[in-house]
Amino acid sequence: MLRTLARRALQALVVLIGVVLLIFVMLRIVPGNPIETMMGEHANAETIARMTKEMGLDQPLLTQFFRYIGSAFRGDFGTSYSLGKPVAQLIGNAFVNTLLLAVFAAVFAWIFGITCGIISAVKKNRLTDRIFMGVSLLGISLPVFMSAMFLQYIFAFKLHWLPISGTDSWTGFILPAIALGWNSAGQVAQITRTTLLETLQEDYIDTARAKGRGPTGVLLRHALRNAMLPVLTMMTIQFSGLLSGAVITETVFSINGVGRLMVQAISGRDIPLLQATALLATTVVILGNLLADSLYSVLDPRIRKEG
Amino acid sequence: MKKFISLLIVLAMLLGCAAAFADDAEAGLLRTAIRYDIRTMDVARTTDDYLIPMNVFDRLFETRRGKDSLEVVKSLITDYSVSEDGLTYTFTLKDGIVFSNGSKLTASDVQYTFERLLKIADQNTEIPLEVVGGAAVMKKEADTLAGFKVTDDTHFSITLTAPNAGFPAELSAPAMSIVDKETTSAAAAFGTEPKDTIGTGPYIVTEWISGDHYTLVYNDKYWGTAPSVKKLIVKTIPDANTQNMMFLNKELDIIDLQNQDAVVIEGTYKSMPADRMVSTPKVGLTYLILNENQKYLKDVKVRKAIGMAINADEIIQGIFKGNAQREKGIIPTGVFAHSDDMKAFTYDPEGAKALLKEAGYAEGEVTFELALNTTKASESVKLVYSYISSQLKKAGITANVVSYEDSAWANKRNSGEMESFVATWGMDYNDPANIMYTFFGTAENVKMRSINYPDASIIARVSAARAIVDDAKREAEYKALDKKLIEEDAAWIPMYAELHLWCLGDRVASFTPQWAGFADFYAADVTLK
Repeated sequence: MLRTLARRALQALVVLIGVVLLIFVMLRIVPGNPIETMMGEHANAETIARMTKEMGLDQPLLTQFFRYIGSAFRGDFGTSYSLGKPVAQLIGNAFVNTLLLAVFAAVFAWIFGITCGIISAVKKNRLTDRIFMGVSLLGISLPVFMSAMFLQYIFAFKLHWLPISGTDSWTGFILPAIALGWNSAGQVAQITRTTLLETLQEDYIDTARAKGRGPTGVLLRHALRNAMLPVLTMMTIQFSGLLSGAVITETVFSINGVGRLMVQAISGRDIPLLQATALLATTVVILGNLLADSLYSVLDPRIRKEG
Repeated sequence: MKKFISLLIVLAMLLGCAAAFADDAEAGLLRTAIRYDIRTMDVARTTDDYLIPMNVFDRLFETRRGKDSLEVVKSLITDYSVSEDGLTYTFTLKDGIVFSNGSKLTASDVQYTFERLLKIADQNTEIPLEVVGGAAVMKKEADTLAGFKVTDDTHFSITLTAPNAGFPAELSAPAMSIVDKETTSAAAAFGTEPKDTIGTGPYIVTEWISGDHYTLVYNDKYWGTAPSVKKLIVKTIPDANTQNMMFLNKELDIIDLQNQDAVVIEGTYKSMPADRMVSTPKVGLTYLILNENQKYLKDVKVRKAIGMAINADEIIQGIFKGNAQREKGIIPTGVFAHSDDMKAFTYDPEGAKALLKEAGYAEGEVTFELALNTTKASESVKLVYSYISSQLKKAGITANVVSYEDSAWANKRNSGEMESFVATWGMDYNDPANIMYTFFGTAENVKMRSINYPDASIIARVSAARAIVDDAKREAEYKALDKKLIEEDAAWIPMYAELHLWCLGDRVASFTPQWAGFADFYAADVTLK
């Protein structure tokens, strides 16, 4: 198993280096001069030339790339063109918020999704099943900005139960986490229900029942444990998605997160910030996939044996 | 029983939350919101983010809205005089003014401020460049400004390369905020850290959390009258709808309605009590720029036809629901030398068609690209593009709206190749040079703004107008230039100036917006109940 994990980690590293190179080259070959964008209305040729030199953008592409890699290894991602602050500091502050949001959203999605899935499977084709599956389908189909605005309007603006925006306290994460996690919760609920229903048809479930296990014991100890394998994989991948794709939720709830930072970097053609945020998003997705693979290996004895 | 206890716990949690989000604003606190975080607190590196500089620093002069006109008033100085040739200004600083860190304001701080803008050579270099030796400092050929003489701590003189009667007005621009030489020169990255942002103004920056909020508190060493607002929190709230809900929920005390959709303003705010709505014209204007290098746009008859085909009043009523005023010239309403008798472009699509025919163009022949900056354009501006495009179609002119993201837009415009675009200019100081020189004052400016106006004699006159010291002659020249550029040459199509609207919350007694209608304002001009 260790060998399998090592092989996958190596693959992930190669992909990461490839992505860094791709991002680096793409940002430099797209038309337009980032210095002119940064300087806006008051740019003049002389100043643009000076700033281009100061920022090392006049150097050959390869020199720029190796300098970037060298600095990145030291944790120096440069200074943001558009915000004038070290990129590492900006991302550090924003990542804490995004991480908290993703954790809250994932916790909500998993608890709500798995619970709904189990209840729906147990109450198959009854009213409870239909209600729970309806709610999960709504979560999957409703765009995040709609659910965010709906939750914000009802629970913050009308009922005053939670803050409209900001993360001054942990309560500020509740609505954004639900808005962001609802979609994942729906997916988890649906897949939990389906796999659980399939597992409940298996022979070993009948064996467990014949051995005198009670319905709860059969459900939780035998059926759910086996049904959770694809659910867990999905949850791991979902978590990396939540971490890297919370732009809309962060905007609606005014959370200073990585998603908003990335949008700002794109609109301002802020190369250092864009490189670093893209690199972070890629790393998170790659790590998420790696974790999913590893979990699969740990939980599935067949894969463990193969490894 | 278990269910009942669970219900009680949930209810207690909800009530706890409700109590936590009740209106708990402390006395003297003002809360407002912006959509995008500031980039810096340093005017040497921005021409947009002025709220902190306006409140933390002072300038030698300030522009204020008087009863009937705009006035340039002395701020950090007690007196000044101008030499007969109009070149040398001699100033006396007010005695006893200290920065918020306790160090005394001296003439050396003023000199340092001028020289620093040139040495950084990023933004706002235009005004110090007018001083003798400015170009040498900017090119790093000299360390100090030859035209800046410090006599003692409170006396200094500035000699300009050419007379400029608008110089005091220029010195009232936020760009000319006076910094503390000692702190600023020692700061590693001035403009990013609150502790280094030391001024003589009524407020001190105590925190700036990027992307979240910044806080200003009253500077108890401030030399002027103590303001009613003792603490200002400016939150970054990107979503306009969220801002709206926060204001209605009393989590904000002032809302800038510029960020709100016209429908929301009509539906929610127009019914507010009149004393809670504040409206001020934005001193500036929105205009259509036409590139005179373009195949069709180089023909003055085509440009005039475009002017006649655009119905600015329809735009004002249709998009801004009347919350804008018509502008007919380059020099906007309220600015020195603004002319009320400009006769440019009466809406007449049939007349436009006839003019195009007279110029030898078949119906539908004239076509050009109308560039839209999708990154920065508000929803209203996007609508303006749609209106213009459909209005021109009625006159047989095709304006193809092409979208560019910000960097591509800036690159194309600066290269002089953008065929046409709609833009808005807000005045930084009350002098016509601020707009006319910027667009038509040099060949480089004309190219960089993608106008490519070809008449070198007019460019020379615009440049020379800055040096006319006599107010009457200066006014006459600027008015003549405005008529020439718009009525004769149709170099621009002036359209409108929006009204800037704010709504005040229950805790605010009064609010005077910045004179030019900037979104940035002086917190000292807000009075709390």
